[in-house]
Amino acid sequence: MVKRINTVFLNLWFYPLFVIYTLSAVTVMSLIVILSFPGTWRVALRRFRQAIKVYGNVVIRILPFPWIRIRLKDHAPQEKGGPYIFVSNHPAATDAFLMAVLPGEIVQVVNKWPFKLPILGQFARWAGYLSVNEMPYEEFFIRAVRYIQEGVSIVVFPEGTRSSSKAMGQFHGAMFRVALEAKAAIVPVVIWGNKDIPARGTMALCPGKISVHKLKAVTFDEYKNMGPFKLKNHIRDLIATELEGMTPCA
Amino acid sequence: MTNDEVIVKVNEVFIEAFEIEPAKIKPEANIFMDLGLDSLDVVDLVVALQNKFNVKIRSDERVRNIRTLGDLQNFIIALRDEGAFTQNG
Repeated sequence: MVKRINTVFLNLWFYPLFVIYTLSAVTVMSLIVILSFPGTWRVALRRFRQAIKVYGNVVIRILPFPWIRIRLKDHAPQEKGGPYIFVSNHPAATDAFLMAVLPGEIVQVVNKWPFKLPILGQFARWAGYLSVNEMPYEEFFIRAVRYIQEGVSIVVFPEGTRSSSKAMGQFHGAMFRVALEAKAAIVPVVIWGNKDIPARGTMALCPGKISVHKLKAVTFDEYKNMGPFKLKNHIRDLIATELEGMTPCA
Repeated sequence: MTNDEVIVKVNEVFIEAFEIEPAKIKPEANIFMDLGLDSLDVVDLVVALQNKFNVKIRSDERVRNIRTLGDLQNFIIALRDEGAFTQNG
């Protein structure tokens, strides 16, 4: 009963705030881009992506507090700069927001549907997120490698779809081919505790504690002798091993 | 080349090119769900099979219906029966 009341309060509190905050953020982010000129487009993009991270951090850490709490466990806090390829498991639709806790300038690889979200989808397009199903593989590959060369980190959920249990789906290897080409370090990221935040097929958030573990980077020197198939399974094994030992907020 | 020899060589492709544990190599194993190949890996698989059997594999209805390792083994056996293997195959 108490849990049910908490769930009702959380959603009555969160969603109106979320809408108001998002509408305000549109104005602020537009100003950030406008004020970045007459600087270069690159500088404007960097600031815009940083603003998205600030927006994401507020959405996941402040708006739903204290019903939802996030704990980041960084296994390698000294690894800050990047660029990295962050590879994460994918328990829930909120995972994209959780990636705001990661360091550096970031774009994400997303499916079609996030681009269709009002406002947020437009933010994603402006920020240069990669809609993997809306472009040929060759174009995706070229753009992703270029991001790494420009110092931009990339977040990818290689299962392609959500898996709310600890049994992950198989990984798609596209981003691992990018990693081999760009010689980028790969950082496994492990999320647990948000399978009901929100549960699949609903927008209702349940109170809970979410753990995000950022593992040590796997450098190009460590994986350069692997093919893309072996590399994706190696990273998948690292995530699966960490996931096995996790409880919410462990 | 006998059916068993074809099967052994197909299995070798998965073990050599993808370093899949031999224990996972079973006829009923789904190439995507169980063995973990994706659409890009399939391109590598086709190249490896072509090199292994000296055969040209074209994308047709039979290829699109392959789901399990057993399906693939039977497809390669069918290619052999059609005389698609070249001399060194």
